[in-house]
Amino acid sequence: MKVVEINNVTKIYHDTAVEVRAVNGVSLIFEKGDFAVIVGPSGSGKTTLLNLIGGLDQPTSGEILIAGHRLSELKPSELIDFRMEHVGFVFQSFNLIPVLTAAENVGFIMSLQKWPKERRKARTDELLDSVGLSERHNSRPSQLSGGQQQRVAVARALAAHPEFILADEPTANLDTKSAETLLDIMEKLNSEEEMTFIFSTHDARVVKRARRVITLEDGKIVSDEIRE
Amino acid sequence: MIPEIAWKNVWRNKTRSLIVIAAVAIGVFAGIFTMAAINSSVVQRIDAAVNEELSHIQINNKDFRASGDIQNLIPDYSLIKTVLDSTPGVESVTGRIIVRGIASTSAKSTGVQITGIDTAAERHIFTLYRKLIPGTGTYFGSDTKFNTVFIGEKLAKELNIIRFILTDESMDILRKRGTPETVLSKLDSLKNIRFTSEKKFSKAFESLLTASETRKYGLGIKEAGWSYREGSKIILTFLDMNNVQTGAVFRVCGIYRTNNDMFEAQSVFVPTGELRKLTGIPEGSYHRVIVRLSNNDLTDKVTPVIRNELPGYEVLSWKEIQPDLAMLADMAQQIYGVFMAIILAALAFGIVNTMLMSVLERTRELGMLAAIGMNRRKTFLMIMLESVFLSFVGGIAGMAMGAAAIAATARNGINLVKYSEGMEAFGFSAHLFPTIDAKFFFITALLIILTGILSSIYPARKALKLNPVEALRRE
Repeated sequence: MKVVEINNVTKIYHDTAVEVRAVNGVSLIFEKGDFAVIVGPSGSGKTTLLNLIGGLDQPTSGEILIAGHRLSELKPSELIDFRMEHVGFVFQSFNLIPVLTAAENVGFIMSLQKWPKERRKARTDELLDSVGLSERHNSRPSQLSGGQQQRVAVARALAAHPEFILADEPTANLDTKSAETLLDIMEKLNSEEEMTFIFSTHDARVVKRARRVITLEDGKIVSDEIRE
Repeated sequence: MIPEIAWKNVWRNKTRSLIVIAAVAIGVFAGIFTMAAINSSVVQRIDAAVNEELSHIQINNKDFRASGDIQNLIPDYSLIKTVLDSTPGVESVTGRIIVRGIASTSAKSTGVQITGIDTAAERHIFTLYRKLIPGTGTYFGSDTKFNTVFIGEKLAKELNIIRFILTDESMDILRKRGTPETVLSKLDSLKNIRFTSEKKFSKAFESLLTASETRKYGLGIKEAGWSYREGSKIILTFLDMNNVQTGAVFRVCGIYRTNNDMFEAQSVFVPTGELRKLTGIPEGSYHRVIVRLSNNDLTDKVTPVIRNELPGYEVLSWKEIQPDLAMLADMAQQIYGVFMAIILAALAFGIVNTMLMSVLERTRELGMLAAIGMNRRKTFLMIMLESVFLSFVGGIAGMAMGAAAIAATARNGINLVKYSEGMEAFGFSAHLFPTIDAKFFFITALLIILTGILSSIYPARKALKLNPVEALRRE
C-alpha cells in the first residue's frame, strides 16, 4: 500500500544570484512498512527531500501525495494540521519540550488533537513501555540521557498513529549503545506494527539495518536498493 | 495543555521572570497605594463637605443664593417638611436662617456667615458638633444669660480669642512628650508671655531654637501653648428684616476644628431662636431647608424627585452646590485609570523585552512545535498566556502589597502635617487614611491582563513568522 508518492519533485533555492537545485526531479514511492534510508553526501538534498515529504517545505515543481492528500493543494494552516495527523517527526537534536516530562512530551500531540485524558494516558503508557521508558514517565528531558530523549521523541512521533515517521539523522548525537537500542526499538515497531520509517542519515549503523537504501547525489537519485 | 506549558515556560528562566514580576509588582503597588492616598483625600473632603457643611440636598428660596437678602425666605417650612418626610430616602430635615454679618472682638473684626440652627435637629444631619475642641465649651449645652455662638478655630485665632502662652503646665506637657530639657530651657524666657497670634508665638520660639529643633518640636510647642479662656465673647452685627443694623454680644459656647480653613473662618452658628429674635424673621420661616438622605448614593436619584415635588424652590444636591467636589470625585477615577495605564505602559516595555528574549531563545523549539503540528493560533495563545502570566503574577503581588499597605495605614493614617497649612486652605485633610474601592482592584486586574496581552503581540508575531525548516536548523 502506497504511503508516500513523489512525482518528479524539484526544489530550487535562490541563494543570492545562484540557483541551487537541492532536489532535482525525484520520483519515489514509499510503501507501508518500509524501513528506508536516504543517504548521500552533505548537500545532496537528503534533508530537503525529507522536509518536502513532511510538508515542512513546498516543492518548486512536481507533486507529493500522502494518504490521498496532494500537499501542494493544502494551505499553510492545513499543512500544519496535516503534519499533526499524518506525519511523525524525529529530529537529530531530540527537540523535546524541556519544561514537560517524558509522559507529557509523548502526550503533547494527542492533547493538541484533543484526545480524552484516559485514552491519552493509556496510549502514553503503551508507547513509553514500548520504547523501554516505562519507569521514566515523570522525568524531564534534562534528567534523561541522549538515547532516552530520542526514545521519548520516537514515542512522541508515534503517538497519534501517523502514516509514517520521518527521522532526520536520529542517531547522529548518540553513542553506539544508545543508537543500537534506538534502532532495535524502531525495527521492532516496524516489524510488529508495520510502521513506515524514512530516515535521512550518514550513519552506517542505520544503513546496515535498512531494508531500502536510496542514494542521493546533487539532488538526484543515483540508486534505490531494496534489500531482502 | 497550552496554559500548562505557558505557565511552565514562565519559570524556565526564574531570575529573569522574577525581575519582571518584581517590576510589575512594585509598579502596581505604587499605583494602587498612591491612588489610595489621593482617593482618601478626595473621599475625606467629600465626607467632610457632606457631613459638616452641605448635607446631601439643600432647598432655598429661589432668589436667596443670588441676592443673600434676608427677606428671601421660605415661608411655608412645615409644608415643605411634610413633603420631604414622605419622600423615600429622606432621613432628616431641618431649617436654617442665614444672615451675613461681622464678627468682632476688641482686637479685630471680620466678615462671617451667621447661621441660625435648630441645635438638636442639626445633630441628626451634621457632625460638626463632634469637631468641638475639648476644653472650649459644650456646643450650646450650657444655660447662659448671653446669646451663644459656635465658631471655627480659624476665626477664633483671627479674632484673637485663642492665644498662645507657655505656662508651667504647658512646659510639663512638653516634658512628658519627650521634649529635651535643652529645648525647654531655651523656651524658659517665653514663659507666661501671652501672644495674641500664632504667627507671633511661632516667631518668638523659632528665634530661640535651631532650625532642626523647630522642625522637630515646633508643632508640639504650638499645641502646648494654645490657650483659650472658656466663655469668651464676640459681637455679631448684621441687618434685620427692616434692613436696620443690629447685633448682640454672643458668648462662645464652643470652638470647632475642621480641615477647611475657609469654612472655619467664615461660618458661625447660633440657635435659630436667638437669631430670629434679633432679626425679626417670623416663626416658621427659613432661608434654607437642609435634607439628609439615608445614603449618599441616593443623592442623584432623590434630588430630581424633590425638585419635582417643590417646583417653586431652588433644590440643589451637594454636587450642584460644589461642582468642583463632584468633579474631583469623577476625576479621581479617571486619574486612577490614566495613572495606572501610564505605569503599566512603562512596564509593558519590560515585558515585551523579556518575552522577545524568551521567543528568540526558543527558536528551534518553536520550529519543532510548528513542525509537529502546533498551529499558529495555539502558538500565539501560548506566548500570550506566558506574557499574561508574567504580568498577572506581578500584578497580583503588587495588588496584595497595595492592599496590605492600605490596611496597615488605615488605622493611624499618613500624617502629612508638614503640608497641613496648604492642604487645609483648600479643605483637604493633612491626615490621610488611604482607601480604595474594591472595583479599583478589579479595574487594575483588567488593565494588567490587557497589558499582558498587548505586550505579547510583538513577540508572538515574531514567533509566528518563523519558518519551521529554518528554525529547526538554528543552534
